[in-house]
Amino acid sequence: MQTVKMVISGAVNAGKTEFIRSISEIEVVSTERKATDETRLLKKETTVAMDFGRITIANDLVLHLFGTPGQRRFDFMWEILSEGALGLVVVVDSTRPETFRETTRIVEFFNEMRPAPYIIAANKQDKDTAWSPDELRLALRLPEQVKVVPCIATQRDSCKNVLLELLYEIMETAKEG
Amino acid sequence: MPLVGNLRDFALHDFLYLVDRGYKTGSLMLNRPSTDDAAHLYFDKGKLLSVVRPQRRERLGELLIRLGKVSPQQLAQALQTQQMNNARPLGQILVEHGVIGQRDLQFCIQQQIEETVYELFAWRDGEFKFQAGQKPAPDDVQSLVPLPVENLIMEGVRRVDEMSRIKERIPNNDMIVRFVDRPQEKAANINMTADEWRIFARINGRSSINEIADKIGLTPYAVSHIVFGFITAGLVEVTRPTGGQSSKAPVAAQAQRVGSTPTRRSAAEPAYVEPPKKSLVARLINRIRGL
Repeated sequence: MQTVKMVISGAVNAGKTEFIRSISEIEVVSTERKATDETRLLKKETTVAMDFGRITIANDLVLHLFGTPGQRRFDFMWEILSEGALGLVVVVDSTRPETFRETTRIVEFFNEMRPAPYIIAANKQDKDTAWSPDELRLALRLPEQVKVVPCIATQRDSCKNVLLELLYEIMETAKEG
Repeated sequence: MPLVGNLRDFALHDFLYLVDRGYKTGSLMLNRPSTDDAAHLYFDKGKLLSVVRPQRRERLGELLIRLGKVSPQQLAQALQTQQMNNARPLGQILVEHGVIGQRDLQFCIQQQIEETVYELFAWRDGEFKFQAGQKPAPDDVQSLVPLPVENLIMEGVRRVDEMSRIKERIPNNDMIVRFVDRPQEKAANINMTADEWRIFARINGRSSINEIADKIGLTPYAVSHIVFGFITAGLVEVTRPTGGQSSKAPVAAQAQRVGSTPTRRSAAEPAYVEPPKKSLVARLINRIRGL
């Protein structure tokens, strides 16, 4: 059985968990949230807010989805998680401009560490206060070639579309065979 | 007159108790011809100073590089200083150079010694010989503070008991860890610690317990303990390595040469990622479209 991996990242409360829950055929592991309690994060026993889901592609192939912890303290996990990943979805809460700077940091971090195809999922596009994908591109200072895909992380079809857009990106750099 | 015997009749914890109560100084040589293995333990007034496994001897510098505490360059500089001041221990020089703190250094050494002793608790047989007055070689890894053996006895016995349960599911540390095809219902809503997640994220159906331990800097025991928990939760299973999956030597054996051990890559050095094949991506696209 071959397994391939995609990483779903984003700032705290961007919608990573909802995204994986919506698209995963089985919710395997989802940790409890303690993002607001910074002091507890310093303790060794603190659980890490991270998610894991899977999609069976065929009898011999499985896609694993790893949601990264949003908290900065767990940056070290990103490197581990992104190892061997086909690509990255960076989820951004389009209604919360205060998280855009953190989103930019995440994009830069992954780019420096492990350049792999990535796209931005502009989440909560069903909300009145959501910034549009074009506005987000400017706010996040993204190059023209980076896709910013509208998304509603609680809707399966929307998440499916995001994954497909990422896969089209991956296909661009895939080798023959 | 050396004390000689066999661990079959007089187990390691019995001997440690004797050393502790007898306030003994000297070396305990363990030989296990059945597995061609040996270990030398050095004591000072009933406390443990050093443990050496001749088959995978690791010097202090190699240990600290393996743990990512010093770089090969920092070690080379410290060794140069040591050559000029022959009598000074390497650890002291590294502390003076500000490369590592005294407490951190002691922690690394102590953990290494303790983990090695815990492995020895699993030896059910083997000849032993205790010789009074023997001291470790100057370049052997030695604890800065002699270690009390009471805790070693308690933890060692506890681990032997635990390992016997773990071994029922994970016979050895060369076993490959992979996700089960269909996780059981009890696998939902599991909360994990940071170390558990680090291991979880390394599971790929190709890496063994030893390899995972090597990559994340935990002991094989710690990894097998956590993997055992995953197995119990129905998340993963272990399989024997097939022909294409080479089992890896124990962690310590990889650090035979200074600088040979992989250290954590800095963020400034992006890793090369080989692109996937188009056929693989096409399969993924087709499946996601059909969801």
